[in-house]
Amino acid sequence: MSNAQSQPHGSRFAAFMLLLIPTAIFLLVFVAPIGSMISLSLENTALGTRFVGFNATDPDDPDARAAAILADLGVLDQKQLGEVSRMLNQEKSGFRSLILNTGKKADTIEPTMAGLAAFDARWGEPEYWDIISKNAGAITWRHYQKASGLKYDAEGNLRIAEGDDIYMRVMGRTLMITLQVTLITLLVGYPLAFAVANGTRRTASIVLNIVMISFWTSVLVRTTAWVVLLQTHGLINNSLIWLGVLSEPIQLIFNRFGALVAMTHVLLPFAILPMINVMRTIPKSQSDASRSLGAGPIETFLRVYFPQSLRGVAVGGGTVFILSLGFYITPALTGGPNDQMLAFFIADFVNRTLNWGMAAALSVLLLATVVVLMCLGKLMQRLTAKRERTL
Amino acid sequence: MKYTAITATCIATLAMASAAYARDFTIAAWGGNYQDAQRAAYFTDFAASKGLKLVETTYLGGLAELKTMSDTGDVIWDLIMMGGSDAQLACDEGLLEEINWDTLPHADELIPAARKDCSVGSVIIGNGMGYNTEAFPEPPNSWADFFDLEKFPGKRGIRNAPAMNLERALIADGVPLDKVYEVLSTPEGVDRAFAKLDTIKSEMQFWDAGSQPVEWLLAGNVALSTGYNGRFISAKKDGKPLEYVWNEHIYNIDVWAVPKDSPFKAEAMEFFAIANDAAAQAKFSALMPYGPTNSKAPDLIAPEAAANLPAGANNANALSFSDEFWIENNDALTERWANWVIQ
Repeated sequence: MSNAQSQPHGSRFAAFMLLLIPTAIFLLVFVAPIGSMISLSLENTALGTRFVGFNATDPDDPDARAAAILADLGVLDQKQLGEVSRMLNQEKSGFRSLILNTGKKADTIEPTMAGLAAFDARWGEPEYWDIISKNAGAITWRHYQKASGLKYDAEGNLRIAEGDDIYMRVMGRTLMITLQVTLITLLVGYPLAFAVANGTRRTASIVLNIVMISFWTSVLVRTTAWVVLLQTHGLINNSLIWLGVLSEPIQLIFNRFGALVAMTHVLLPFAILPMINVMRTIPKSQSDASRSLGAGPIETFLRVYFPQSLRGVAVGGGTVFILSLGFYITPALTGGPNDQMLAFFIADFVNRTLNWGMAAALSVLLLATVVVLMCLGKLMQRLTAKRERTL
Repeated sequence: MKYTAITATCIATLAMASAAYARDFTIAAWGGNYQDAQRAAYFTDFAASKGLKLVETTYLGGLAELKTMSDTGDVIWDLIMMGGSDAQLACDEGLLEEINWDTLPHADELIPAARKDCSVGSVIIGNGMGYNTEAFPEPPNSWADFFDLEKFPGKRGIRNAPAMNLERALIADGVPLDKVYEVLSTPEGVDRAFAKLDTIKSEMQFWDAGSQPVEWLLAGNVALSTGYNGRFISAKKDGKPLEYVWNEHIYNIDVWAVPKDSPFKAEAMEFFAIANDAAAQAKFSALMPYGPTNSKAPDLIAPEAAANLPAGANNANALSFSDEFWIENNDALTERWANWVIQ
């Protein structure tokens, strides 16, 4: 302590170091994974480095191409051959057996086009050759093409093929669900936050405790609880039938309704807590002043209280929006086939089809959407701030 | 004094970390009753006979874990129970140890379909339809019934994957069992299967874990569901009102495999002395209603237990799942399936 006082520069250096280390750690754990994700979505070493001879030959000399591809495949070990065949099979069915068989027998096949076609008739079809030459580059855009649905047509122009834009549509659906969840969360959360910030001590502590208990409970537990509550013979349906409201159970789960209810519940605390914080900073005296100047309670709320609480709404809504964009397990357990969000497909590519490039490309798509939306939000904020200043 | 304590803690942590590195023999299997039965029939005897300490974990399909182990060089599993087609894919990519069939115990007693380059078939599984016996006065008995929303109204539980579901759609559409893969190999056959699936699309609900069909049928969340015969029959044995339809069901083989470069490779190969043994397989089938791959095991199974297995009379009108077809076509058909689901 005394040391720091006598040497002000030393303390500044210490403070600098104190900031530098967390910044470095942050960069490492935050930027590094994003960087590796982006490189994974473009990376093509599995194919790009395995067709060196083939890439170097003249595309108009079929026999040279045949000899080159046999030489390229012949030097691969089983693991590399398996990898090449898996990646090409993602482009066209049948590539797996074609590459595996050819690679294993490479040294016995006559290195001409006729020899290859005699070994397997598929080598006689130009489509297979086109796919190899299109995908043998050092980096690849094919994952992004698939993610966007863009394809080269017969004339070589990029266009969205009918029915191939599935991930774009899933992205649209993801945004739609996210918007719905954000709106519902804010509508439900605002009165609760208001009660905590302005209610009596007792009300505030009861509401806050309920919110916090649900906040501290595992997402999986809360989601499963909703499955139990909402299912066909679950608590809600049975109660409604017992009360005579319904004559037979209605479908509350495995559809958009179930997904929205569960997601809203999971995300509610993230909207309420920032709103409480902001609402608590709004001086009560302002509302009192407004009332004493003749405004009614509704006008006071709308013109004095509500505009000041909007900052909390923006923070809470933004948090919920960003969090729900990446939701996976909750809609998977409570939604139907048409309520699955983009994260579901990312997990599927990672775990089931082992297409990590595609998973990375879809993750980049999700990340880019968040960045664009955040920029739009900032822009809106700046525009409204400017307008307020000119008013 | 304080520093000594911190240093001691650090050293202790490091020591524990390195102790964990010299790990125990680890088995990854499908979990639940299935793994319980495998423990009773194979794992306990294996651990005792070799003096090994076993660690068990759960595997949920796919190649992600195997690929990570291979990429990082940190092989954390020594024995894994997987689906036949996944095992073949993993074998092609060099993720599994090759099996030396000349020295493998009981090799000649196994059925031919169990003998693959990198895997040893162990369990025959029925993939059929289950229903709640209290739901319908006249029970469903075919895939045509499964696709009949008028006779059997309600949601249909199916797995979110084209494999087996395209076959079922074709069978429901009148394709004979021995022609299913022939038809499915043509573009028209695939169109036909998807057209049939269109008719129940509005009522589909996807299950992921093998336990979900049982839970959903009991809770009334779905009217009919595809699923594994073992899950439905185990629930039935527990007194639940469930039944499994043997007619037109699809059977496939689950296999044991050894991840490439496992430090316990030698021990893992010795595991087959127990896992391939007819008596041990019969014990397993008595606990879990899946079929044995040892051709001598059926003689050792009591008739009442045999009645629950995907074997013999139960497979009289059944389809044998084609790993070969799906290894080749899974990528393209999965893409089309995902596309179809979203539309």
